[in-house]
Amino acid sequence: MPPPFKEEMELIEKAIKDFEEGKRRNIAVISDPFYGESELLEWVWERAGGGALKVKAGSLKEEFEILERSSAKIAIVEEAHRLYLRKIGGFDLMDRFINFVSSSSERLFITTWNSFSWKYLDEVLGIGQHFPMKIELPGMDAGKIRDMLLSGYEEGELTFLEEEEDETEEPKILKRSSFKISLLGERIEIPRPEVDLSSIRSRFHKGEEKRPPMEIFFGKLARISDGNPGVAELLWKEALDYPEVRNSLIDLPSIDLDLDDSFALNVILSMGSVDLADLSEVLEPTGTSAERAAALLEERGLVEIDGEVVSLRAEALKRTAEHLRRARLVW
Amino acid sequence: MAENATAQLSGPGGAIPDISINPSTIISALLLLAIAYVAVRVAVFLLSWLSERAYEHRITVKMAIPITKLAIYGFAIYHILSSVAPLSTNQLIAFSGLAGAAIGFGLKDLVAEVVGGVVIVLDKPYHVGDKVRIDDQYGEVTDIGLRATRLVTPDDNLVTVSNQRVLNQTVANANAGSLEMQVVIDLFIDSGSDAPKAMKILREAAVTSKYVYISNKRPVTILMRDHPFYTMVRARVYVNDIRYEFKFETDVTKRAWEAFKSEGIEPPKAGVVDLGGGPAAGGG
Repeated sequence: MPPPFKEEMELIEKAIKDFEEGKRRNIAVISDPFYGESELLEWVWERAGGGALKVKAGSLKEEFEILERSSAKIAIVEEAHRLYLRKIGGFDLMDRFINFVSSSSERLFITTWNSFSWKYLDEVLGIGQHFPMKIELPGMDAGKIRDMLLSGYEEGELTFLEEEEDETEEPKILKRSSFKISLLGERIEIPRPEVDLSSIRSRFHKGEEKRPPMEIFFGKLARISDGNPGVAELLWKEALDYPEVRNSLIDLPSIDLDLDDSFALNVILSMGSVDLADLSEVLEPTGTSAERAAALLEERGLVEIDGEVVSLRAEALKRTAEHLRRARLVW
Repeated sequence: MAENATAQLSGPGGAIPDISINPSTIISALLLLAIAYVAVRVAVFLLSWLSERAYEHRITVKMAIPITKLAIYGFAIYHILSSVAPLSTNQLIAFSGLAGAAIGFGLKDLVAEVVGGVVIVLDKPYHVGDKVRIDDQYGEVTDIGLRATRLVTPDDNLVTVSNQRVLNQTVANANAGSLEMQVVIDLFIDSGSDAPKAMKILREAAVTSKYVYISNKRPVTILMRDHPFYTMVRARVYVNDIRYEFKFETDVTKRAWEAFKSEGIEPPKAGVVDLGGGPAAGGG
């Protein structure tokens, strides 16, 4: 159930037509991880027919000559952000790619980028100037997400269950906390009130109980997924127990990490998923163990480790981006 | 009788009530000042606590601290003069004379410092949280008081500079209210080494650091200066939080030198680098 990409298809269609008429505008399709833009590239490839080359940037790491040897007039490069690593010497392949893009005036490049890597590389290398047409895939509101996810179902086919509240545990707005100070050589614990923002939010949304369960579900889904259709789809699959849809979506708490672990998380976010070996190449020179950082992030529910690959968890995307912006690791 | 012992001064025509400076008035004024003091301490504590949790808005929140202090003390003094001990015109003239004499003889410096504090709060040459150099002292401003400004130096020394002195000094503010600030990192290499390669490595060491901040207004600049026996490569780059200034410098220097060594870029021969105010230490 990919997003419709109607506007994006029109833009790309026009760029291809312009290219055929002699006006080249390389395209960068920029989106957050999990968005599902590969469906859009699939359409582009079919639209271009035999005149296009479609490669994953990961394969260019092994053999860049694939691109250089090809005589295709349209080059579709998927996940172009994989051509760099955030380390000394980690931009060489990206530089080579950018130089190739600039020098191949008779070829149109259609590329996809992780939005976090794109912003970083645009500041560091100024890649934006090589891709005059930037298509930033937007977040979707609750209505669009609902239409996308329910497109394969009949009206009334699914039953949305109401959220069950735990009556025994009423969330408190003010919680008792404490801090310690040193006074005359003694450590003294001083109590202080702490405001629980999530309980305020949940009370604020109590009025939603009067709305239909389906509306509540998709409102919550849009909020937790931050309008990212890929994340919404993953959460939808977890909630769907055909023909019932459980309203059991949980908003992750705010992230609290030190700078080293936050930086490791930033590297993972910028790639979506990264080999442990690559993560190690980035982190080791800074004195951080990639294995330790990945294990800690997995324990916090932010990433998952599958063999040698560390991937961001879809449901953690929003909180991760918020945390890294606060920590000023994402600008 | 106590009432006879109090000063009785009448305003013109008796329209303005007389002041009775008795023990109760003095206690009320002192109590009000004590309350203001406690209120200031609580406000400073809360704002400092809040600022540390405001991440990227830390300095913005801290900017409110001196203004809050000034407002609370200003309100307390206004309240004392208007309610606890209202002064008639004659009393005000008499008080002004006394105050003028007191300021002229003994409190001149204190008043100049308080006025300096007010000027600093209003003119904002720096804010709480900024990194400044005042009077050869460099550090983070932790407090702008009515009498003095306090800095914490990189060596964790608390330096107190009177506000009057601040106004007479050249103040260098490294970040001017922003969380990021420019850091200059100089590396010296042997003249025979590949300087363009060194510049590339230094640039990459800077832009890949976890402490870096880059934007259109905060670009990375790499410079080179040739000297007879060595070459200086300099990075002008912004750290994402002023508190990481030295960690950033260390991180970039360490990783750049590791890469220099693997690329055969050598440090200068011993004794050829002039760090004592020579051209290398100047602006780039």
